[in-house]
Amino acid sequence: MTQQMPEAVFWCLALGLLAVTVLLVRQRGITALVRRRNAELADGLRARDEEVRHLASVRLPALEGGAGGGAGAPGAAEQAVPGVGLLDPRLEGTGFAKSVDEVLDRFAGAVEQAQARADAAAKAALKTSMRAVQALANEQQVAISQMQDRHDHPGVLRDLLEIDHANAQFGRRAQAIAVLCGSWPGRQRAASALTDVVRGATSRIRDYRRVEVHGHVDIAVESRAVEPAVLAVAELLDNAARHSQPNTKVEVNLRAVHNGACIVIDDAGVGMDGQAADRASVLLSGGQSVDVTRLDDPPQFGFAVIGALAARYGFGVTADTRSPYGGVRAVVFLPSSLLTHVTEEPEPAPAEPDHAATPQSAPPPEPQPATESATESATESATESATESAGASATEPAPPSRDAAPAAQDAAAGDTTAGGLPKRRRRAPQQSRSAPPAELPTADEASRTAEETAVRMGAFARGTRSGRDARLDGHDEGKTQG
Amino acid sequence: MTPGSRRRRPDRGLVRPYVVTEGRACPTRNTLDLVTLLIAADDLPLTGLNPEKRRLMELCRPGALSVAEVAGHLSLPVSVVKVLIADLMDSGHIVTRAAIPSAQPSDARILQEVLDGLRSLL
Repeated sequence: MTQQMPEAVFWCLALGLLAVTVLLVRQRGITALVRRRNAELADGLRARDEEVRHLASVRLPALEGGAGGGAGAPGAAEQAVPGVGLLDPRLEGTGFAKSVDEVLDRFAGAVEQAQARADAAAKAALKTSMRAVQALANEQQVAISQMQDRHDHPGVLRDLLEIDHANAQFGRRAQAIAVLCGSWPGRQRAASALTDVVRGATSRIRDYRRVEVHGHVDIAVESRAVEPAVLAVAELLDNAARHSQPNTKVEVNLRAVHNGACIVIDDAGVGMDGQAADRASVLLSGGQSVDVTRLDDPPQFGFAVIGALAARYGFGVTADTRSPYGGVRAVVFLPSSLLTHVTEEPEPAPAEPDHAATPQSAPPPEPQPATESATESATESATESATESAGASATEPAPPSRDAAPAAQDAAAGDTTAGGLPKRRRRAPQQSRSAPPAELPTADEASRTAEETAVRMGAFARGTRSGRDARLDGHDEGKTQG
Repeated sequence: MTPGSRRRRPDRGLVRPYVVTEGRACPTRNTLDLVTLLIAADDLPLTGLNPEKRRLMELCRPGALSVAEVAGHLSLPVSVVKVLIADLMDSGHIVTRAAIPSAQPSDARILQEVLDGLRSLL
């Protein structure tokens, strides 16, 4: 019994030991597994943490920056976002990655919306304020013009010209910003000659004295396109003058081409490098709307304005060639649809036909009087001579006694302008000076005989004599009294 | 109306006066007033003149016009037109003369009558 006891204990212990060993081994395996999984999970967690930090510190700023800096290089926003992807490739395709992408999308949408709203608000605010400024500038221009009319002193004129110049530039700036914000150029002009369009543009830049206009083409720009063309050319001229030395000239050439007309602007300035030229050509094409909140600082909106105008009115502007003087050559192409050939004002249409209908005997200096009233002059001179020979017109001295041409002139002078004002007939100095005195005696002899004149002179002499006698009498009376 | 003034009237606000005079306000001579008559020289070419000067010459070609009338036709301020005219006088395109008193022709007539009357009295 006592021998059996230790054996039993031994077996029990052995069994227990075995079990413990098995358990220990198993436990160890489980522990290792758990530890491994734990490490894996911790790693995953760290990866996600890193990923979130990466999202916040790199990806979202990249998106922001891409959207914000996209004004210069269009499409930068689209390129920048895919460039910065997930930090840890293991997370690709997981739900977490999908959520992160969703966050990114939401963020991008919000940014875009905020930008659009900011742009719209900025545009609206700028537009209304610039329209007000523009209206004031126009008002002031009218006032300045009236002052220029009123004052005839060179000193006053000099000051007024300076004010006028400043006002014109100021108006252009306001107009350019308003156009960029989607407004219309704002002034309705009559159809104007191409030369006047260029000179109108010259009026609105600072260095207007440096602009030289060459080439005379007999082409006018249609009324609706005048103001936009003036504004576009003004911006180009301003760029040209601003980016070249003050002692150089800005040369403008006007050319009639098959499909329209070209305004070629050459400067002798610094020119543009490849990147600037690319950017300029994108802006000048006017393909995309310009975001006013993304203009550089200081804002450079010249090309953007030109592009907007060109796209809206259908003319073309390029600035990607070098000028022969080393600077930039900008070419404004106006298609035929924007051009007209009206160089005459529309009002004189009624006067034109009879001028054209009777061209047979028009003397070159004064075509109209002679052609207009050949019959009138004949009848009138006849009646005039009749009344004069009757001697009844002693009280009216001068007018009809000249030859037929001036009589016709008088008749022509009777007609009026389209505005209802009487037309003044032109006095030709050489003729009026030499011809009438030579003709005078014959006219007089025909109208009044020497006897009649003698009778009248006699009456005049008698009257004078009696008047003198009366005065002499009065004097005598005075003397005797005194 | 003269052929020159029948031309299209330029839009007043488009080309500003300082561009027309190239920034100058003082005419090179001060002999001009509103009624000074301008007579264009026929033989000089118009090349090299700006459009306003060219128009001014066209206006004056058919005969004489006063400064005020030219300013009206060009729709420019008189003082600006004076600058242009002074330039044209310097280049010999235009000669000026004081206005003709309007009573002169009738004076000659009256004198002729007086002469006739005296002759027949004596």
